Amino acid sequence: MSALLKLTDVHSFYGKIEALKGISLEVRQGEIVALLGSNGAGKSTTLKTISGLVRPGSGDIQLEGKSLVGWSPHRIVEEGIVHVPEGRRIFAGLTVHENLELGGFTQRKEKAVIAEGIELAYALFPRLKERSRQLGGTLSGGEQQMLAICRGLMARPKLLMLDEPSMGLAPIIVQEIMEIIRKINGQGTTILLIEQNAKAALRLAHRGYVLETGQIVMENTAEVLRGDESIVKAYLGA
Amino acid sequence: MDILVQTLADGLVIGAFYSLIALGYTMVFGIIKLLNFAHGDLYMLGAFVGYTLLSLLSGSGTGAGLMGIVVVLLLTMVIVGLIGMGIERVAYRPLLLAPRLSILITALGVSLFLENGSMIAWGAQYQVYPLQLSHDGWNVLGAQITYTQMGLVLISALLMLGLHQFISRTLYGKAMRAIAHDQTACHLMGIDVHKVIGLTFFIGASLAAGAGTMAGAYYGTVNFMMGFIIGLKAFTAAVLGGIGSIPGAMLGGLLLGMMETAGTFVFGGSWKDVVAFSLLILILVLRPTGIMGEKVTERM
Repeated sequence: MSALLKLTDVHSFYGKIEALKGISLEVRQGEIVALLGSNGAGKSTTLKTISGLVRPGSGDIQLEGKSLVGWSPHRIVEEGIVHVPEGRRIFAGLTVHENLELGGFTQRKEKAVIAEGIELAYALFPRLKERSRQLGGTLSGGEQQMLAICRGLMARPKLLMLDEPSMGLAPIIVQEIMEIIRKINGQGTTILLIEQNAKAALRLAHRGYVLETGQIVMENTAEVLRGDESIVKAYLGA
Repeated sequence: MDILVQTLADGLVIGAFYSLIALGYTMVFGIIKLLNFAHGDLYMLGAFVGYTLLSLLSGSGTGAGLMGIVVVLLLTMVIVGLIGMGIERVAYRPLLLAPRLSILITALGVSLFLENGSMIAWGAQYQVYPLQLSHDGWNVLGAQITYTQMGLVLISALLMLGLHQFISRTLYGKAMRAIAHDQTACHLMGIDVHKVIGLTFFIGASLAAGAGTMAGAYYGTVNFMMGFIIGLKAFTAAVLGGIGSIPGAMLGGLLLGMMETAGTFVFGGSWKDVVAFSLLILILVLRPTGIMGEKVTERM
């Protein structure tokens, strides 16, 4: 399996604070990779750096061998990396349908692709279809998360990055979302996943990285990470 | 009765100009939270560019026919629209991440630049518009409503309808609304946010320029300071409708135009501005969100 995404010694800063202190990781074609760690470890910053919201101070980020450092976020999306941000960030004043259309902004030259993407989204989550004319802000948290994931898929990404898709959701909905992530992966989309809910994430993922204060302190297959009680206790929470 | 109808008709024309300018104010505010105080000067620029184009047209001996006027109007809108985009690129974009006050002061600077630049280019005196519009019209309930007035209101309505269609139907229009909600999320959708902001400035500037050309033709004279007061009035209209709201700007402009005309009739012409700005103060005190405005949390 070849590396789809490869980070090499990436340093990122918020002002003078060094949030990432030399992150190196890779995500291979077809994988689900989990990024674990406590609050403030740098998980979200890692995703923001990959998606271009934060410019790395140094280091290299490559998608299929092509360096993306210094690119603006919209070009990175065009290149095939979509970041579904923490807190979902649905456009509350736009309808569900419009949210999805905007997710397909990079496909705007081909209306058929957008229409097809929306059909796929509705097939994945029939509840969204029922609410297609409703404003995004009127959806429940779980529905918003589903919309956020579908909106991300609209750009037909090679790599889908999900930041805490289970945050604030009821356990039964979390399970549903996790199943959907597995399904999306099964359809060929590579996934980089951040989760507080480490157990759920490791059930899903093929491999995992553990972050602590801006550094990767551990990487292994999900199976090994799952089996290591001390790791579960120390980094992953109950 | 005839006076009421006359007031409404006259107010509608002025109100349509206010609406067109207020739209640019409100769209720019919605998308980058900037009160673009240079916006009124784009109206002035529209009047002058239209003036120059019409002079060229009538100077060549053909005279400005109806087709000619429409072409001049569209051409003016495109030219001033591009100028509006240029202003955003040069003056505002470098300051997007700076504190709001910096960009506001820059807007005042741009306003001075445009006013004085136009004075140098076209002179400080009043220029007579090279176009005579018809004073014929219909008699409606004793009031005289000219074809010109109807034409201007119709053109304004068409422009606003076009804008509404653009905003609600096209992907770029939706992206504009989305950026007003959440710029970061738009980046992550692959939307070139700067391009959409530029487009917003283009549309806002061209609507103001359209109003400027029409106002020049309607009133007959143009001057480099003509954008100052009307800019403030359009700002009032945008606040009245609810700043950030596009239907609000349309409604606010029409309402302000009619209230101002009615106020002029009651109190006399010299009280025109007093009426408009008293209204601004009243809204700010009683209902700062305007008629259709949503509550906005201030982001500094």
